[in-house]
Amino acid sequence: MSGDDKMEAEALDWALRVGDPAFEDWDGFTRWLDESPAHARAYDTVAAAVADGAELIGSSAPANDDALPAIMATAPRRPRRAWLGGAIAASLMLVGGLWVWQAGSRDLYRIETLPGQVRTVALDAQTRVDMAGGTAMEFDRNDPRFARLKNGQALFTVRHDEARPFQVTVGEDTLVDVGTVFDVRRNGEDLSVAVSEGAVQFNPKAQDLRIAPGEVLRRHGKAGDYTLGRIAPARVGEWREGRVTFEDTPLRTVAADLARATGVAYAVAPGSADRKVSGSLLVAPLRADPAALGPLLGIEVREDAKRWMIGVP
Amino acid sequence: MPPSAPPSPSRSGLEATFLENRDKLLHFLRARGAGDAAEDLVQEVWLKISRSTPGPVAAPLSYLFRTADLLMIDRFRSARQSGTRERDWTQAHADEAGASPEPSAERRLSAAQEAGHVLSLLESLGPRVSAIFRRHRIDGMAQKQVAAELGISLSTVESDLRVAYRALAQWKERSDEA
Repeated sequence: MSGDDKMEAEALDWALRVGDPAFEDWDGFTRWLDESPAHARAYDTVAAAVADGAELIGSSAPANDDALPAIMATAPRRPRRAWLGGAIAASLMLVGGLWVWQAGSRDLYRIETLPGQVRTVALDAQTRVDMAGGTAMEFDRNDPRFARLKNGQALFTVRHDEARPFQVTVGEDTLVDVGTVFDVRRNGEDLSVAVSEGAVQFNPKAQDLRIAPGEVLRRHGKAGDYTLGRIAPARVGEWREGRVTFEDTPLRTVAADLARATGVAYAVAPGSADRKVSGSLLVAPLRADPAALGPLLGIEVREDAKRWMIGVP
Repeated sequence: MPPSAPPSPSRSGLEATFLENRDKLLHFLRARGAGDAAEDLVQEVWLKISRSTPGPVAAPLSYLFRTADLLMIDRFRSARQSGTRERDWTQAHADEAGASPEPSAERRLSAAQEAGHVLSLLESLGPRVSAIFRRHRIDGMAQKQVAAELGISLSTVESDLRVAYRALAQWKERSDEA
């Protein structure tokens, strides 16, 4: 490889890395640029060619989303057994005996939403999952009756099938539907499950608790106590309509929920995490004016370097 | 260059980051080929940011550098384009007195043809490369997220993007020579 070829390959590599929204190594990039004045030009040549190409492609035809599921089905897959082995074994044991399932192992794919973004995943004609902002989930290519909530919040609208119940795993907990619309939320290790139709069986192999319509099961922390509260069924999944309601909710949960729903960087001020507030609010106006939250919940909203801190006045 | 107007509260975090890292940014712009214009460009970066930023930014330092980097790429692109225009104009002028440098119907048509050409070039690289490139460069999705969405590894996304970038660089090289 000649010196020019090497430089061009490096320039292409940097264009690839720097072009990613998640790129952070500006010091490393600067060091490479410092090595030779020719580097900047080589980088500009690639970066400009890619920008020109993307502009032409973007303006001439909209991205064809329909092509993606086909890609997902044909994309070569990494062997997952190695790194998911433990998880698969665990979930196999957990659900073993509930029903006979078709494939030998999970073939998972992951879908994430950005804060402020909402996305619907259709698993079959009558089963769909609405993902709230800032949510990470995994689904199984071979088993449309399975979903895993890694973090965030999702509303499940599930076609009930006695022979093959729909199953959701959240951390080490398992939820099994009994004909159902239900909402699951995970903030770190805090868990809540609210049911608006049908019922959900919580950890059938352990607590085996039935959650009925209009009930919400909450747990604070991994080993915290369970509480079963009431919730108006109409409120379950109301976030899809852009509304969030808090009832005696600790501010740490408020901050996490709102950050997810709005995409605004809300955080809880020191000492205020457990302070509880109530109120029902629309999400859209907060995107335009994050400070408007203050009067709505009777709290103080302060802007600091990177975040909107909420706390008690 | 600090802004002359009092900063609004929503950008004080960015402003602090800007002021703290002004020298670093200047160094970056020089290394990026800005030369004598580096000082002016630092100011332009700040003006761009203070006009457009809606509120707190998750990674202010990256935001500053990214703005500076895109500014340099845009400068490169417009310098190259005006070079091309001048050359085209001269050619047209040599052929036919009074020809206009304004975009003609012919020029717009050739832009559409170029778009079609790039499109088929991308598609010739395979449906996965094309889908990944669109997701990342047109929808603006991070590489990691593209990998997650398609259920493939990050290194596959990177190597597919590399294929697309190389093809586009070669396409540009050819069309510049033509």
